Amino acid sequence: MEGQKLLNGYQTGQQTRRQGAVMFGPGRKIINSLLHLLKMAVLLLASLVTAFPFVWMIISALKTKAEIMDVSAFLPETAQWQNFSEVLFESPMVRYIGNSLFVSVCTVAIQVVTGAMIAYAIVFMRFRGRKMLFAVIMATYMLPTAATYVPSYIILSNWNLLNTYTGLIISNAVSIFGIFLLRQAFMQVPAGLVEAAKIDGANAWKILWKIVTPMTKSSFITFGLMSFISSYNNYMWPSLITDSPEMSLVSQGLRRYFIEGGAYGTEWPKVMAGSTIIVVPLLILFMFTQKWFINGIGGDTGMKG
Amino acid sequence: MASLSLKHINKTYPNGFEAVKDFNLEIEDKEFIIFVGPSGCGKSTTLRMIAGLEEITSGELKIGDKVVNDVEPKDRDIAMVFQNYALYPHMTVYDNMAFGLKLRKVPKDEIDRMVKEAAKILDLESLLDRKPKALSGGQRQRVAMGRAIVRNPKVFLMDEPLSNLDAKLRGQMRIEISKLHQRLGTTIIYVTHDQTEAMTLGTRIVVMSAGIVQQVDTPQVLYDTPCNLFVAGFIGSPQMNFLDATCKVNGNKVALEVGGAAIELPPAKAKKLIEGGYDGKTVVLGIRPEDVHDEPMFIASSPNTVIESKIRVYEMLGAEVYLYFDYAGASMTARVDPRTTARTGDTVKFAFDAEKIHVFDKETECTITN
Repeated sequence: MEGQKLLNGYQTGQQTRRQGAVMFGPGRKIINSLLHLLKMAVLLLASLVTAFPFVWMIISALKTKAEIMDVSAFLPETAQWQNFSEVLFESPMVRYIGNSLFVSVCTVAIQVVTGAMIAYAIVFMRFRGRKMLFAVIMATYMLPTAATYVPSYIILSNWNLLNTYTGLIISNAVSIFGIFLLRQAFMQVPAGLVEAAKIDGANAWKILWKIVTPMTKSSFITFGLMSFISSYNNYMWPSLITDSPEMSLVSQGLRRYFIEGGAYGTEWPKVMAGSTIIVVPLLILFMFTQKWFINGIGGDTGMKG
Repeated sequence: MASLSLKHINKTYPNGFEAVKDFNLEIEDKEFIIFVGPSGCGKSTTLRMIAGLEEITSGELKIGDKVVNDVEPKDRDIAMVFQNYALYPHMTVYDNMAFGLKLRKVPKDEIDRMVKEAAKILDLESLLDRKPKALSGGQRQRVAMGRAIVRNPKVFLMDEPLSNLDAKLRGQMRIEISKLHQRLGTTIIYVTHDQTEAMTLGTRIVVMSAGIVQQVDTPQVLYDTPCNLFVAGFIGSPQMNFLDATCKVNGNKVALEVGGAAIELPPAKAKKLIEGGYDGKTVVLGIRPEDVHDEPMFIASSPNTVIESKIRVYEMLGAEVYLYFDYAGASMTARVDPRTTARTGDTVKFAFDAEKIHVFDKETECTITN
């Protein structure tokens, strides 16, 4: 049976080689070029579909109210730059962005520290129930987020943390995705390095931050960036635990100011200008971390040589 | 610098596998001890227990006068060189060597002095700013050594440090390690499966098999008087020849009958077989390749130990020749003078050096004559 399989494989290989021989030469070149063109066309189309909402958002931010409703013209007659200045200086948008940046930076910092510590324990420490602990952590990942809202709300309420920055931050202190991502990265670090550091005199804390972290830098940056984006864009949970306008994050603020304010349907250019402004911090962050972000996704742990 | 004491050390893994069984050893200060044995014999596990990287299931481990069974690796004052060097890839050579000192809060200028001194000893001065990935295998190995010596520890532990190097570099580094031991005068415990390293470096060798210590002694004693078949076969290259023989006692003379020949033993060895009551029993005759001679003069002077066989393979190594042949169902090797006229296919007479014959009990595999 196994021999027959091998034989079949051999025959298939032979056939492929024969077909290859037929397709060799100018014919093959044309097919390769066409395939390349097709790939490019698919990628271009995908890029357009992805980029179009952003382009539309920016162009709409430069239109008047009337122009937005007029579907016959894609571009504005005159760019309405004052939409941006009005949003920046005559609305609490800057405050909302500040709130979001503060909460996101704190959340990321705490998630990175907790995630790294748990991942280190799971990968490098030997203790009873280690595998079970990881299984339980991963099981909580399967839990729908909405199912945690009520108990989390009650806990924050009991601790008097509703409507506070602390409540917003500590309710996201641990990221299961982060633990999983860092665990995968830590598993690529040779155990010998950790042992060498132990003998050199390092304790677990030093090994984590002086040896393991620098070697898995790209995974940390990837996790940090993803966590920041998720925290910055968070809408549902902050809406449940905060109600004062001073505590609003960008997503809530945008809705509160432009939609709840009774101007529904009339201030679309400002909604678009506000949306454009709140995306800017994310774009800047992505610009600086792009290299690491892609490396991290690809699983590069910086282990070379 | 310190002595070590290992008493009744055992290591059993949670799955029940016994990696080390009742290991006992006293290591003197400044000794160069080699743990040698085949893969999976427990030598690395023992070293890792000394380092504190493996828990000791039972027994007592002392470094100096202190029992260190439950002491963290960082508090044992040891340094270890790993098989794959374990250099920190994100640090320069300087930082790799300085890392342990920084953790011990040694003043900066002192660290600088110590790292540069170690770098000078190991000829690493020009490489201090490089990262490990920009170094060759030999250089990485020297950095790993540097990281160990810079801390001036009580005990050096080395886990097959030369096994990733090519043969030439391995030879050079062997000499370097030997010089380093003489220079630093530190206790070194060195794990290897390469018996050339074991024989050339060690002041004493611990031969291990299946988690059990087989014999502990100086290289020369191990080579000349192995205590059992395993040690006899493991130490020496090419390995000792073994033949199953029948012991025949005639008065105070003993002959070992094998393949139609009767090999007569010298009186001292014969006495031990007579006293052991081996008459008529099957024993194992062991003879090292260099003690199997094909020179006519030797054969003429040793008529009682002569055998005859056809040469299967002739191997010329320049300074010596290996002749491979079969005798009494066993493959044998003779290490002879390169001027020998014997060639593949020739039927040749060989004589054993009777004084160098080893006899082992077939059942227990222990030596009878040593």
